[in-house]
Amino acid sequence: MDLAERRGMETDVYQPATDSRLLAEAAIDRLSDRPTGRVLEVGTGSGYVAGQVRSALEWDVVASDLNPNACLEARDRGLDVVRGDLVEPFGAERFDAVVFNPPYLPTDPSVERDDWMEVALSGGPSGRAVVEPFLETVRRVLRPDGVVLLLVSSLTGMSDVTELAGDAGFSAIAVTTESFPYESLTVLELIQ
Amino acid sequence: MKESLLDVLCCPLDKHDLELEDAVGDDDVESGTLVCTECGERYPIEDGIPNLLPPDMREETPA
Repeated sequence: MDLAERRGMETDVYQPATDSRLLAEAAIDRLSDRPTGRVLEVGTGSGYVAGQVRSALEWDVVASDLNPNACLEARDRGLDVVRGDLVEPFGAERFDAVVFNPPYLPTDPSVERDDWMEVALSGGPSGRAVVEPFLETVRRVLRPDGVVLLLVSSLTGMSDVTELAGDAGFSAIAVTTESFPYESLTVLELIQ
Repeated sequence: MKESLLDVLCCPLDKHDLELEDAVGDDDVESGTLVCTECGERYPIEDGIPNLLPPDMREETPA
């Protein structure tokens, strides 16, 4: 792959940003208190968060994404990568933790662009178009004491997200929050 | 993909186990096919990455 192709790829794979770093730090901090296990990062994008967790902890790390270009980038970090839709391709009770920095920006469908970056960022009109099915399905792949670490923006509606988590059988604890002029970012730990 | 990854995967449609066929590469499978032991749906492994999207989502790619 030449540089031009590589640049083209970078424009359609979400690159690590403040939210990624916040989630990686929180995941490493929370998982280091638990016995070594297996963690899945859903929507891994460049593979940054999964890569950080793997460098810091002895855990088995699996990464997945819908975007084939993201899968290639994550694979190039040496991660075990699966192309799939959220947790659909994973067996029941296989993971001790699932980590997710979801697409969460509320977007007007009339101005949505049709490309991979839009898929990486857009949470539909509510900001919860991806968070909702994720919360409805994630528990199946978790072991009985498994946890979810989920990045949530204030733009996505914190109380709506914790309510959805509650409906799915989780209790939510905010493990870290950072405030910015336009939004605050929180990592929620969801416990069964 | 590492062959051991098969332990965590399932058919995205009916959640049954998958079997590896036509694998190229030893422990690190470069290409091959994952086949559902129940419904028989086939999922390709390309460039070491299993594509476990359901068939109707496989070709859906934004511009």
